[in-house]
Amino acid sequence: MTIRRVLMGVAAVVAAAVFGWLVMTGLGRLLRAPAAPPEEPVAEVPAVAPPEGTATEGPKIKATLFFASEDGQRLVGVQQDVPLAEGTVAQARALIEALLSVPAPSAYSSTVPPGTTLRGLYVSDRFEVFVDLDATVRTRHPGGSMQELLTVYSVVNTLLVNLPTMTEVQILIDGREADSLAGHVDLRRPLRKNEGLIQ
Amino acid sequence: MRRTTRALALLLALAAATNGWGQGATPSLSLLSREGRRALPITVINNQDYIAVDELAGPFGTASREAAGGLTLTARGRTLILTADQNLVSAAGRLVSLPAPVVRRDNRWYVPLDFLPRALGPALDLRLDLRRPARLLVMGDLRVPRIVTRIDSGSTNVSVTFEITPVTPAKVSAEAGRLVVQFDADALDLLIPPLPQQPFVSSIAPGEGNTVVIATGPRYGAYRSSSSQPDASSSRLTIDLMPSTSDLAGAVPPAPPLPVDIRPSVTPTPSTGLRTVVIDPGHGGDELGAQGPRGTLEKDITLAVSRRLRTMIESRLGLRVFLTRDDDRTVPHDDRSAFANNHQADVFLSIHANAAVRPFIKGAEVYYLSVERADAEARKRADDAAIVLPALGGGTRTIDLILWETAQARFLEQSSQLAGLVEAGLRAKVEMSPRAVQQAPFRVLVGANMPAALVEIGYLSNPDQEQQLTSAAYQDRIAESLLDALVKFRALLDRGAP
Repeated sequence: MTIRRVLMGVAAVVAAAVFGWLVMTGLGRLLRAPAAPPEEPVAEVPAVAPPEGTATEGPKIKATLFFASEDGQRLVGVQQDVPLAEGTVAQARALIEALLSVPAPSAYSSTVPPGTTLRGLYVSDRFEVFVDLDATVRTRHPGGSMQELLTVYSVVNTLLVNLPTMTEVQILIDGREADSLAGHVDLRRPLRKNEGLIQ
Repeated sequence: MRRTTRALALLLALAAATNGWGQGATPSLSLLSREGRRALPITVINNQDYIAVDELAGPFGTASREAAGGLTLTARGRTLILTADQNLVSAAGRLVSLPAPVVRRDNRWYVPLDFLPRALGPALDLRLDLRRPARLLVMGDLRVPRIVTRIDSGSTNVSVTFEITPVTPAKVSAEAGRLVVQFDADALDLLIPPLPQQPFVSSIAPGEGNTVVIATGPRYGAYRSSSSQPDASSSRLTIDLMPSTSDLAGAVPPAPPLPVDIRPSVTPTPSTGLRTVVIDPGHGGDELGAQGPRGTLEKDITLAVSRRLRTMIESRLGLRVFLTRDDDRTVPHDDRSAFANNHQADVFLSIHANAAVRPFIKGAEVYYLSVERADAEARKRADDAAIVLPALGGGTRTIDLILWETAQARFLEQSSQLAGLVEAGLRAKVEMSPRAVQQAPFRVLVGANMPAALVEIGYLSNPDQEQQLTSAAYQDRIAESLLDALVKFRALLDRGAP
């Protein structure tokens, strides 16, 4: 009799534990689902150049890329076709690769030094995008506060305007956290979208 | 971890600051009067210059009597009452506030130097003028102009400039192997910077009477001098030393007619809020900064303008001025703001020259720090963070503990006012860019624990501006604009002071 009671008690405890586990994991998934994209939110994609031809084929999205205005004092958003990519990380990568390669429309100028390449791109679980650029972005930068602000915020704004679920962007140089790009802008912390610079 | 280390470093710095008692060689205060010059020993306490009260008996005839934790000073029938560890003293019935407390140590009483012009002078009806950079106290109506020397060396000449406050006539005469500059004054309050390596001037030193002697170097052949009056309160004498091929030599031409001066008076008056200015010449060493089409480097321009500004502030406002670098060297960002913090600067100005991809872009700009998410959090933390530490000699005192990387967050409002005044100052004298005042997350401003702004003095990438930026006239215009802004900012701080 007592053994039966003990067994029932144990069974009840096990059942409660299993139910609790199911609820917790289920809730966790439910809570993550609306905020995070369906694919893995924490991911790392090596920056490999897409094979020839894929850029011109396949579905596209209309994205806003940022260039320096005619008077060189502002950023201007320009609508461009950018390949649709699977997931946030791949889409972020496609956006930055477009920003680095698409020539600026005639009146505007590109803010990123020519020859700069994307080494990698990561998204943290706090929805911060880490953009790893090669050292060209620093060595071929013309300097000056204004030009440095335009370079940094064309990258930051291009990502945050097109990927509204992302909150902040930090630029890394050659895989490392950088003090600044040309001696002015603080790159040690992630930056938010800069509306003030947009025309 | 990094924050803990920084907080620890800050505490160590504070501990070091409180141990500043009596370090280094014994400095002295020169007292200048009709009777001549005498030296009064200075004691450094908590990084402030103090003078022992008993040293005042000789020159001022004061008698002191200690009673009930206070000290009563009498002279000429007037009474001053001092209390240990108090900033307030009673001078002939008036309460006077001092920048540092009265200190009693080893049975001696010490007062900060400001006690002399603020309390003792008025109480005894004596005119006392304290020249802090030169550690000089002028008594009575002696004419002791402040003369700040600047040396600009070029490849084919050297020019020596004297900024003289107040306006004082001067005469240059050539003697064997030297030029003698005679000032019409009773004594000189002279500041001479270290001489750069060049073949025209071998030394600059005070001479007999009220003269300054420029000993000429091997390449010197002739000189040309000119004087001008940049404003009502000061005059400027420039002596160009050239190689012997030039046949130009001459006396001082008459000063040009005075322009109508609508600027605020810049007479040196004691300020409670603005005493120390740190100027940060941008880039330096391996960090060239921007480069002009003719090869002008930003790091050279920023240093030249910073030196001019220092000379002007010292000569016309009499404030303490420090440069984060005074030569061509690489200085990390944190060291620049740390330098300003350690010197307890009341204002931090970082000087830069700009660049753009398009050559037609030009004009000056002013920046102050923008508030990122982390800064907003930091500001709250900065306001909340205060800790109580045991103090030397017993008891406790509350100090603000400020994280290095968030120091600027609590000064944003004042920095925005400073940026506005700098913009107005520049606009009156030079061309501005369409976006004259902006906020940006600039690295060098983050750690500055005082009102701070970054000034872009023009675009090096614009060929016309590159030429301007290398010219002495434009550099002086920039320095004068920033000086005007500091005068207004000082007035603002004084109005806001309790």
